[in-house]
Amino acid sequence: MSEDFYIVVIAVLLPLTAGMLVAQRNPYHALVIRGIVGAVAALVYALFGAADVALTEALVGTMLSITLYAIAVRSSMSLRLGLLAAAPCDPDEPTPEEPPLAQPLLKALRRALSRHYLRLEIVPYASPEALQFALEKKEIHATCIAVTEALTPATAQSAASAPYHLSVRLPRLLEIVQNGVPPTLASVSLYRSRQMTTANLSDSPDARHNIWENQP
Amino acid sequence: MIDVLSYGLIVSGIIFWFWGTLPLLGERSVLFKLHSLSVSDTLGSMSIVVGLLLKIPSEWPLLVLALISLAIWNTVLGYVLAYCSSTGGDDV
Amino acid sequence: MNGILIAMTLALLIPIYEAWQDEDIWQTMLAFASIATKTSIMILVVSVLRDDWMIGLVGVLILSVGNASLMLLAHVLRRMNEL
Repeated sequence: MSEDFYIVVIAVLLPLTAGMLVAQRNPYHALVIRGIVGAVAALVYALFGAADVALTEALVGTMLSITLYAIAVRSSMSLRLGLLAAAPCDPDEPTPEEPPLAQPLLKALRRALSRHYLRLEIVPYASPEALQFALEKKEIHATCIAVTEALTPATAQSAASAPYHLSVRLPRLLEIVQNGVPPTLASVSLYRSRQMTTANLSDSPDARHNIWENQP
Repeated sequence: MIDVLSYGLIVSGIIFWFWGTLPLLGERSVLFKLHSLSVSDTLGSMSIVVGLLLKIPSEWPLLVLALISLAIWNTVLGYVLAYCSSTGGDDV
Repeated sequence: MNGILIAMTLALLIPIYEAWQDEDIWQTMLAFASIATKTSIMILVVSVLRDDWMIGLVGVLILSVGNASLMLLAHVLRRMNEL
């Protein structure tokens, strides 16, 4: 038994790291810890003589799955915010310039989102109509427009005190944004689509797939 | 004689490991930790592998391959990590 | 030889603890790099201990491939805030 004591010690590392992985809240940290679990698992498998399993764990379980999941997490954990571009922007341009819009607002929004490990992705549009259309088509999650540029008089009225108006498509995102953005910077409201009722908006799978992981 | 030498190399490699890994726990910058980690981890691992090589010379192709890949990959990895951590990715 | 493996496991526990308690992603990546190197060296030691050529080959492969996956992940993380 004392001969094989090191096997027990090393095997205990596997549930230890797996527990760390389960307890981790930040998705990016969880990815890195998944790599650690993969390395420890390969060690344990090799220790028990399963060389082929260890090799598969290192190649597929660690390298391939981490890379794929990193890309998946990066593209799904984000809030796409539609903005009006200052100048009509060229669709062929690869990296559109960030419009010179309220920097403190974007900063507050970024801070609120990073608390939930979300990124802010800015999508410029040429006209208010295009912005509205993109929100309707679920290309973006929220729009941010200056009150003076507002399309409908109703939003302009409700946002009389704040210089910007944010309309958010998803109820859970609305909660996050409302908690993070002070009312002096922008007013926030839930966007109701004209074609859909609110009931099937909250039911539709697209409304949930981005943020369901963040439900407390 | 050879046995003593190989054990000495392996033990000194483990001491290198501890010496390089313990700074990870402090509150220093990433680059400082990267420096101590890459230098002492690579040197410690290489000395362990040389110790193993003295112990079992019949596996020399494997262990020489391990030595070469350690030297090359760890150096490149140090550069890549330093480059990536100093340009962006700060507020994740 | 058993004592050597126990000491290596103790050295492995330090970066695992570091990955657990640190908030900065790059410090976690450093811990990951350290763990990847250490585990593959431990696989090599086990292979020499048992005189098993096959496990040794796997250890060398993991040693070279694990570092490649680390570099890929580092680049993906670096591009996180762009776009």
